[in-house]
Amino acid sequence: MTQREIMLKKIGTYKFALKDLQLYLDTHPKDEYALRKYDEYKEILKPLVKEFESRFGPLTVKADNVNKFLWIKNPWPWDTEEDD
Amino acid sequence: MFVYEKQLQYPVKIKRTNPQLAKIIISQYGGPDGELGASLRYLSQRFTMPVPELKATLTDIGTEELNHLEMIGAIVYQLTKNLTEEEIKKNGFDAYFVDHTTGIYPSSAAGVPFTAAYIQSKGDPITDLHEDMAAEQKARTTYDNILRFCDDPDVKDPIRFLREREIVHYQRFGENLRILTDKLDSRNYYQFNPSFDKKCFKKRT
Repeated sequence: MTQREIMLKKIGTYKFALKDLQLYLDTHPKDEYALRKYDEYKEILKPLVKEFESRFGPLTVKADNVNKFLWIKNPWPWDTEEDD
Repeated sequence: MFVYEKQLQYPVKIKRTNPQLAKIIISQYGGPDGELGASLRYLSQRFTMPVPELKATLTDIGTEELNHLEMIGAIVYQLTKNLTEEEIKKNGFDAYFVDHTTGIYPSSAAGVPFTAAYIQSKGDPITDLHEDMAAEQKARTTYDNILRFCDDPDVKDPIRFLREREIVHYQRFGENLRILTDKLDSRNYYQFNPSFDKKCFKKRT
C-alpha cells in the first residue's frame, strides 16, 4: 500500500465507525456511551483529514489553493493506480 | 442536501480483471435487490415516516446505500478494465459489451434494465418497514450467491463488507418497527395507517 492508501484507510476506518454509530444512535438516541464514542472518533478524525488533505488534496470540495482547483485531481475513488 | 466525499466507504482495489464475475456483480448495481433500488426505496419512503427515529434511519441508511452503489460500480469498473476483444468473447461479456462497451449500466445479471418496479413506497410505515427488512435479507442472499463464485480475495473482501452491512441494516429496521409499534395501540397495530391516520398514536401519559 502507498502512504496515501494507508492514510486513507485509517480515515475510512474512523468514518465507518462514525457512520455505524450514527445508525445505532438513530434508534438509541439516549445511549450515553455511544454518544461519547461518536464525539471521541470525530475528534480523532479531524487532524487525520487535515493532514491527508494538505498532502494529497481535498476529500470534500473546497477551493483553498489560489493557483489550482485541486478537487479535480486524480485518483478518483474508483480509479486504480494506472489511471494516475 | 447531499455532499460528496471523495472516498469509497470501504476500499476497492482489484488487480486481476474478471468479466465473468463483473457480469453477475452488476446485479447489485441495478438488479432487483441491488443498491440503486435500496437507496431509492429508503430515500423515497422517508418523506411520510411519522416518527423522528424512522426519518433519521431511512435517511442515513438510504445515504449509506449510495456509498454501496458507488463501491459496486468501482468493482465492476475494475473487473472490466483493459479487456481485449478475445477476453470479452471468451468470458461471455460480449452481450453486455455490445450495448454498453465497459460503461457501468444499472441492470440485473440477466441484463434486465433497472426499473422502479423493484421498489415500493407504500405510504404506510408498517408496510414499508417490512419491505425494508425483506429487502435487506434479499440483498444479503444475493451477496451470499455472489460469494459462491468469488475466488479472488480482492473481490471477496469488499463483497463481504457489503454483506455485513445488510445484516446491520436489517437490525436497525427491526428496531424501527418496534419503536413504531410501541407508540401504537397494541390491541390492533393494523387498524390504522400511522402515516395517514394520525389519531392512532397513543396519547402521551
